[in-house]
Amino acid sequence: MSEFIQYTLQGLAAGGFYALSALGLAVIFGVLGVVNFSHGACYMLGAVIAAVLLAELQVGFWVALLVVPILMFGFGVLMERLLVRWLLALDPLYNFLLTFGLTLILVEAVKQRYGVSGLPYEVPAGLGGQVSVGSVNLSAYAIFACVFSVAVCLAVGLLLTRTRIGMIVRASTEAPERTRALGINVGRWVTPVFGFGIALAGLAGVLAAPTRAITAEMGSNFIIILFAVVVIGGLGSILGAVVAGLLVGLVEAYGIAYAPTYAQIVIFVLMALVVLVRPSGLFGREEVA
Amino acid sequence: MRSRTVQSTVAIAASASLALAACGGAGGPQSGGSTKLTDDKVVLGLLNDQSGVYKDLSGPNSKVALEMAIDDYKAKYGEKAVAKTIEVVTADHQNKADIANSKAQEMYDRQKADVILDVPNSAAALAVATQAKNKKKLYLNIGAGTTALTGASCNKYTFHWAYNTAVLARGTAGTITQEGGTSWNIVYPDYAFGQDMNKSFSAEVATAGGSVGQSIASPFPSDNFATFITKAGEGSPKVVGSMHAGGDLINFVKQFNQSSLKGKVQLAVGLMFITDIHSLGVDQFAGTQFTDAWYWNFDEQNKKWADRFKEKTNTRPSFAHAANYSAAMNYLEAVQEAGTDDADAVVGKLEGKKINDVFLRNGEIRKADHAVTHDVYLAKVKSSAPEEWDYEDIEKTIPAAEAYGEANPACSMS
Amino acid sequence: MSDDRSRTTTGTRTTEQTGHDAPAPEAAGAGSPAVAEPDRGARMLEVSGLSAWYGEARVLTEVGIDVAPGEVVTLVGRNGAGKTTLLRSVMGLHRQTEGTITFDGTDLAKRSADARARAGIGWVPDDRGIYASLTVAENLLLPPVVHPDAWPLERVYEFFPVLRERRDFPGTRLSGGEQQMLAMARVLRMGSRLLLLDEPSEGLAPVIVQRIGEIIREIKGQGVGVLLVEQNVKFAATVADRHYLLAQGRVVEHLGNDDFRAREGELLTYLGM
Repeated sequence: MSEFIQYTLQGLAAGGFYALSALGLAVIFGVLGVVNFSHGACYMLGAVIAAVLLAELQVGFWVALLVVPILMFGFGVLMERLLVRWLLALDPLYNFLLTFGLTLILVEAVKQRYGVSGLPYEVPAGLGGQVSVGSVNLSAYAIFACVFSVAVCLAVGLLLTRTRIGMIVRASTEAPERTRALGINVGRWVTPVFGFGIALAGLAGVLAAPTRAITAEMGSNFIIILFAVVVIGGLGSILGAVVAGLLVGLVEAYGIAYAPTYAQIVIFVLMALVVLVRPSGLFGREEVA
Repeated sequence: MRSRTVQSTVAIAASASLALAACGGAGGPQSGGSTKLTDDKVVLGLLNDQSGVYKDLSGPNSKVALEMAIDDYKAKYGEKAVAKTIEVVTADHQNKADIANSKAQEMYDRQKADVILDVPNSAAALAVATQAKNKKKLYLNIGAGTTALTGASCNKYTFHWAYNTAVLARGTAGTITQEGGTSWNIVYPDYAFGQDMNKSFSAEVATAGGSVGQSIASPFPSDNFATFITKAGEGSPKVVGSMHAGGDLINFVKQFNQSSLKGKVQLAVGLMFITDIHSLGVDQFAGTQFTDAWYWNFDEQNKKWADRFKEKTNTRPSFAHAANYSAAMNYLEAVQEAGTDDADAVVGKLEGKKINDVFLRNGEIRKADHAVTHDVYLAKVKSSAPEEWDYEDIEKTIPAAEAYGEANPACSMS
Repeated sequence: MSDDRSRTTTGTRTTEQTGHDAPAPEAAGAGSPAVAEPDRGARMLEVSGLSAWYGEARVLTEVGIDVAPGEVVTLVGRNGAGKTTLLRSVMGLHRQTEGTITFDGTDLAKRSADARARAGIGWVPDDRGIYASLTVAENLLLPPVVHPDAWPLERVYEFFPVLRERRDFPGTRLSGGEQQMLAMARVLRMGSRLLLLDEPSEGLAPVIVQRIGEIIREIKGQGVGVLLVEQNVKFAATVADRHYLLAQGRVVEHLGNDDFRAREGELLTYLGM
C-alpha cells in the first residue's frame, strides 16, 4: 500500500510539472490556433539560459525563475511579430511547419554554442534532500516543483477568470470572430498572449534545470508528452491541460511501477482512448476541436 | 631496396604538391618510384559524430588528436618517413548506420582514405566494418562499444581499439561485486545497447558471486526516472546499476541524487564518459563508480599528452581522443614498418603487436579477434574537482587479461 | 414581382472593379442614392452596389439598402437569399465584397470588424453568440462602451431582471429566449447606434417574441437604428417601418409597412410559410 501511495505521489509530482509545461502550449493554441511545435525548444532554451546565467553571471535559480520567463516573453513577442503573425491567416499547418523549422534551428544553434553533452545545474540550496512520511519518500525538489507548478497554473487560472484581460482572452479563445464583432481588437492581444505562452515554456525549462539533463535535445522528446497532455485535456483548454497533466503523470508512474517497458506507451494509449471517446479532449469544446 | 629509397624520396617530395593539386582524383600522377604509397600519400578518414550526442566525446577534437599523431610521426622519422604526405578527411555520420555506410564508401573510394578511424555508435560501427571488409581497407574503431566488432562481424581489416561493453561489465560489475556490492538492481534503456549491457552486467555480477534482484527496462529516451528509481530501490540492494547513456544517464543521476537512495545505495554506471561528468557537474556524480579506458590525469605521461591537447583545443581529452591518437600513431608506425600503405601489409604488421604508448598500457593487438587489449581502470568520481576536468580517482587498474578475457569465440577471421 | 421593379429599387453600382475583397475607397462620395425614395432624413447606414462572394459563388448582387436613426428595417427572404451575408458584410466579418457601405457618412471599407463595432454597429448573430466560457455578467461586460447613450449595467438588469438573477451562470446555461435577451442587452450596454439583429424570434415562444418586439420598440424610441433579418413576417410587420425583400442575392422589393401588411398573405406564400 505504501508503495502505491509512493507511486501516486510521484505521479502527481511529475504531473504538476507536466501541467505547467503544457499550459503555454494550450494558451497559444487556444487564442491563436497555432500548434506551437517549438514549445519544447523554448522549454529547452529556458533551461539553457538558466544554466548560462548561473555559469557566466552567477545568477541563481530563484532569480532565473523570474528573469528567464521575462527574456522568453521577449523572445516570444519577436517570434510572433517576425514570423508567426504572417502565417496566421493561412492553414494552421503552415505555422506548425514554421515552428517545426524554428525548433531545428534553435536546437542546432544551442548545439553549436554549448555542445551536446549538456550543461551543469545544481539543485537550489535547501531542496536537495527528501521529505519522508513513514515509508513514503519524495524528493524535496520534486515537491517544490509540483507545488510551484500548480500555483502558477492557479495564478494563470485566476488571471483568466478574474480579470478583464482574462475575460478577453477567454472570449477570443472561444470565438475570435464574434469577439471582434463586439469591438475587441483580438489581434492586439495575440502578440502578448503568444509571448506569455513562450514565457511559460521558459519557466518550465528553469524548473526542469535542477532535475533534468540540460541538453539541446531535452525538449525533443518532452514535446511529444506535452502534445499528449494537451490532446487529452482538449486543445486550447487551460483547465484541461492541468487535469490532463496530472493524469498523465499518474498514468506514467503507475505504468513504470507495474509495466515499466510500457510506461510511455500507456500515455499514448490513454490519449488514443480519450480521442476515440471524446475527440475534442476531456475539456475541449467541439467548435475548437 | 636501399638504392631506390633515395630516388623515391625525391619523387615523393616532387609529387607531393602535384598530388595536393590533383586532390586525390582518380588517375592522379603516378610517379614511377613511389608505388609503395597509393596516390603518393596516406589519407586518414575520421568518421564520427560531429553534431550529436558523441560530439563532445570524440567529434571534431579527434581530428586534433590525429594531427598530433601525424606531427609525432613526422618528428620521429623525419626524412626517413615512408608517408611524407598525410591528410585527414572527416565526415559526420550523425549516428545513423546508413549515413555511416555511405560516408565510409565515399571515404574509401573517392577520398582515397587508407584507414577509417573512430566511428562511435554501434550500428554505425558495424556498417563501416562491412565496408572495410568489402573494400579491403583498414578500419580502426574507437568509439563504439559493441562486442560484435570483435565477434560475429570481425574481419581482417577491422580493429577495435579502446573498449567494449564486455570490458565495462567485467570492470564495473565484476570489481564492485568482488568488493562487497553483492546485491544489484539494474535499470537499463530498452533498446539493443541497453539490453546488451543489462545481460553482460547481470552475467558478470553472477560470475563474481553476486545477484541481480531485478532488471528494469525503461523507455528510450526518458526524462522522468523518479518512479524507476523508487522501484530500483525496492528490496534494499547494495548497488543500483544504470545502463543509460547521454541525456538519459544525466536525467537518471540527477533524479537519483534527489531520491532517498542517495547515500544509502551505491550507484554504478554502465557506460560513462568524462564528458558526462563535465556536463552534469562533478558533485552530482560524486562517488559513482565506472570503468574508464583511459584517464588524462592518471600519470605523468598521460598528463603531458593532455597538456599538449589542451593547448590546441582548450579542453582536456577524453579516452576517445587519446585512443584516436594511439590508433593513428600505430597505423602510421605499421605503414613505416611495412614500407607501404598496402592494407594487407599493414594488417600483417599490426596483428600481434605488443604496444605501450600514451593510451595503451600492456597493450596487444590480439591476432585472433583484432581486439586491442590493454589495462583499463575502475574510476570513482571525485566529490569535488581540484581543477576543471580533474574528476576521477582511479581506484584500481584492471589488468588487460582480466578485462578482456579470452578472444571472442564468435569471431572467425576468414 | 418582376425584375424590372427590383432594379428600380436597387442602388446604382458605384464601385470600380477593384477585386472582390477590396472595395474602392473613393466610392463613398459617389454613392448618392439614385432612386426616388421619400426623404427620411439623415441616413445612418447606407449600403449601395454591394455584391458579395463566397469563393466563386456570388451571393449578393448590387444590393442597396439604408437605415435611418430610430428606424426599424427588415430584410425578408428565403433561406439562402443572402440576408445573413448582408449583415456580416456590414459588420465587416465578410470581406469578399464590392460596393460601398457607409455608416454615419463614413466609408467602412477599410475598417475592421472591431473598429466598426466601436463606431457603433452592434451585432446580434442568429446563434446569439453567447460565450460558454463567460458568465452572464461577463457576457454583458465584455464589449467596450462606445457611446454615451449606452445603457448602464443597472438599467440592463432592470430591463432584463432574469439576467441579474443569473448573472453568475455560464452564458450558455440560459434558455434560448434568455440568451436572445442577453445578446440584445449586450449591444445595448455597449451603446451601439445600429443593431444588426439576425432572426431574433427564431425558435422562441410567442410570449418571448412579443417581449423582443417590445425591446425593439423601446430602443427605436432612443433613436437607435435596427436592421432586422426576419422570416417571421407577422412579427416583422409589428415592429418595422420598412422592408426589403431579398431573393437570390438581390433586393427584389422595397415596401413600406402598410404595403407589407397588405401583401402579407402573398409574402407568406412566397417565403413558403
